[in-house]
Amino acid sequence: MYLYNEREQQLIEQRVEQYRDQTRRYLAGEIPDEEFRILRLQNGLYIQRQAPMLRIAINYGLLSSRQMRALAQVSRDYDKNYAHFTTRQNVQLNWPELEKVPDILADLAKVQMHAIQTSGSCIRSVTSDHFAGIVAGEVEDPRPWSEIIRQWAALHPEFAYLPRKFKIAVSAAEEDRAATQVHDIGVHIVRNDQGEVGFEVLVGGGLGRTPVIGKQIRPFLEQQELLSYLEAILRVYNLHGRRDNKYKSRIKITVNAMGIDKFRELVEAEFERTRGGELRLPEAEIERVKAFFKAPDYEQFDGDDASYLSELEQDKDFAIWVERNSFAHKVPGYRAVTLALKALLKAPGDITDVQMDAVADLADKYSFGEVRSTHEQNLVLAHVKQSDLYSLWKALSELELARPVVGTLNDMICCPGLDFCSLANAETLGVAEQIQNRFDDLDYLYDLGEMKLKMSGCINACAHHHVGHIGILGVDKNGESYYQFTLGGSAAEDASLGKVLGKSIPKEQVAEMLEKILSVFVEQREEGERFIDTVRRVGNVPFKERVYATNH
Amino acid sequence: MPLIIDQQPVQQDSWTYLASEEGVAPDLSSVADSSDLLVDWSCFQQCKEQLLGRSGGLGVRIDGFANLDELSCDLDQLSLVAIEFPSFADGRGFSQARLLRDSLGFAGQIRAVGDVTWDRLRFMHRCGFDAMEVSEDRYSEDMLKAFGEIEVRLQGAADDPRPIYRQ
Ligand code: SF4
Repeated sequence: MYLYNEREQQLIEQRVEQYRDQTRRYLAGEIPDEEFRILRLQNGLYIQRQAPMLRIAINYGLLSSRQMRALAQVSRDYDKNYAHFTTRQNVQLNWPELEKVPDILADLAKVQMHAIQTSGSCIRSVTSDHFAGIVAGEVEDPRPWSEIIRQWAALHPEFAYLPRKFKIAVSAAEEDRAATQVHDIGVHIVRNDQGEVGFEVLVGGGLGRTPVIGKQIRPFLEQQELLSYLEAILRVYNLHGRRDNKYKSRIKITVNAMGIDKFRELVEAEFERTRGGELRLPEAEIERVKAFFKAPDYEQFDGDDASYLSELEQDKDFAIWVERNSFAHKVPGYRAVTLALKALLKAPGDITDVQMDAVADLADKYSFGEVRSTHEQNLVLAHVKQSDLYSLWKALSELELARPVVGTLNDMICCPGLDFCSLANAETLGVAEQIQNRFDDLDYLYDLGEMKLKMSGCINACAHHHVGHIGILGVDKNGESYYQFTLGGSAAEDASLGKVLGKSIPKEQVAEMLEKILSVFVEQREEGERFIDTVRRVGNVPFKERVYATNH
Repeated sequence: MPLIIDQQPVQQDSWTYLASEEGVAPDLSSVADSSDLLVDWSCFQQCKEQLLGRSGGLGVRIDGFANLDELSCDLDQLSLVAIEFPSFADGRGFSQARLLRDSLGFAGQIRAVGDVTWDRLRFMHRCGFDAMEVSEDRYSEDMLKAFGEIEVRLQGAADDPRPIYRQ
């Protein structure tokens, strides 16, 4: 895990004091509202429906157990004893006081955490694959590169006032768990025909009001020039992105309006000018950063652990959990475990202070003191010995973090919606609850196979509903929450945008609607087919006919 | 208007600004031939010859839409480029200043005008602005602290091109 040196630590501490002074001047009436809004957003603070919300950065989803304990502590000291993990691997406090935020940040800075650029029109925290470093077949660990990008982006003097927010994701595996095709920039670590490792760069992906899949701007970029190239893209966007209309200000609109070829031309011209300059990454710097992400000291095992195999035999529940909530590790004798933050009747991604402390202890005991957060709003202990899985499962079950629902309908991604978000048009948490209640038969969920359900409370699409196999978008109809369905989206390597099924429906009908959709799937499905593949094969029509059929 | 140059307040501003009105160039003779004159982009284009023939210093004021390439061939005749910040949210000027310094090698004064307040001074300085014009009601001596609030520079910029790994 990356550790800040003295100067990097000084930077985050001085950033806290800078923000403390901004808060002081704002409260003294020296900074107008509109200006402070921008300043606080750059430091992760939203003003929500009921209270401020502070978004804390977890860069590319990597946390130490010490940091996890610090999060538990601030949630106790300053909030209501829980925190919320987001779809961009960050974590939010829903009830901090504006006046106390500098103190929260000062506490977090002691464990090298901060809220730099977790919101606002700037380069946001970088996200990556939550299984980075442990998947077989990965070209290279994407985390050192994510860290290199993070450092370049943090308090970049030129790009703090962009036309709009700017999100970068990095991935290096065949399976894309970082949704790189729906980011402003997607960086794929690839190997070219000469065997050199470099980057394929995508630009202009994004969701929201106008969902777009990213376009390739460069098929192969030499490693050392990563930052020169990113800076060229950002400079072109900063100068040419629209600022007159909030809904047309993302880079996807700039790219579409100009055309990718023209956009590329501008970027390449700027890149030609700056490449080979000071931004070029020296080999030593790349190696320095990589050294922080060395593999932990794994034990050596020949094949599977005998006790683990017999536990699998004997305890069906354990076997189901292993199948659902754990993932193959490239090192023999280890598995990665997903902690499902999808408890019944709780907002997806929510976790209590007690759970956070316990997870930190489990990480120390079983996973080299490391915790990861995922795009799907879960946590991961990435390096668990097979022989430890059974005791870990027991411990997680007691903590209610072992619901074997990963990858099923009940592993839904869901934004906070009307309960917490001031931009929301509709409620989401109550609907999530309705769905979880209706689909509580796990065997049925397993039979349905891989299913990505994503629900957003407004067109801003924070839960990425366009790229859910099933997407649900909350809309407002005369003050009532209504829900529009899309089918066939994907954020993975086969990325696609879902298509709208038909007119929106009132809240009480959501679970029923889902049931109908799933019944069509079960009828139409070919042996072992995933839901998304069935939708791609048969289209929306059979679903539409069933769900909107009038009762005679 | 209060003016900061090289991170210090200055009392005297040698420059006079003449603005076009609805595209009509101002009367240049209202300013002495030997004094420093700042004009907007449209005036500069219309009266270039006359302006270049003056003996005083010449500056051009541009907004976020300006195409710097069009300015580049006359750059060595200019001692000042003023870049306008229309609002606190608008950050085009940061890139324009960097292009002026790093790409076009402009060595004269780059002055931030318009929405210029405490919390952007440091980034302006880093991007190549050496002068900042602050409105009276937003100016205070205290704001000069802005330059020293954060002493660590992760990225290279116009003030120091070296990213932290080359420092
Ligand atoms: S999608 Fe809308 S309602 Fe949900 S968190 Fe984002 S802005 Fe708020």
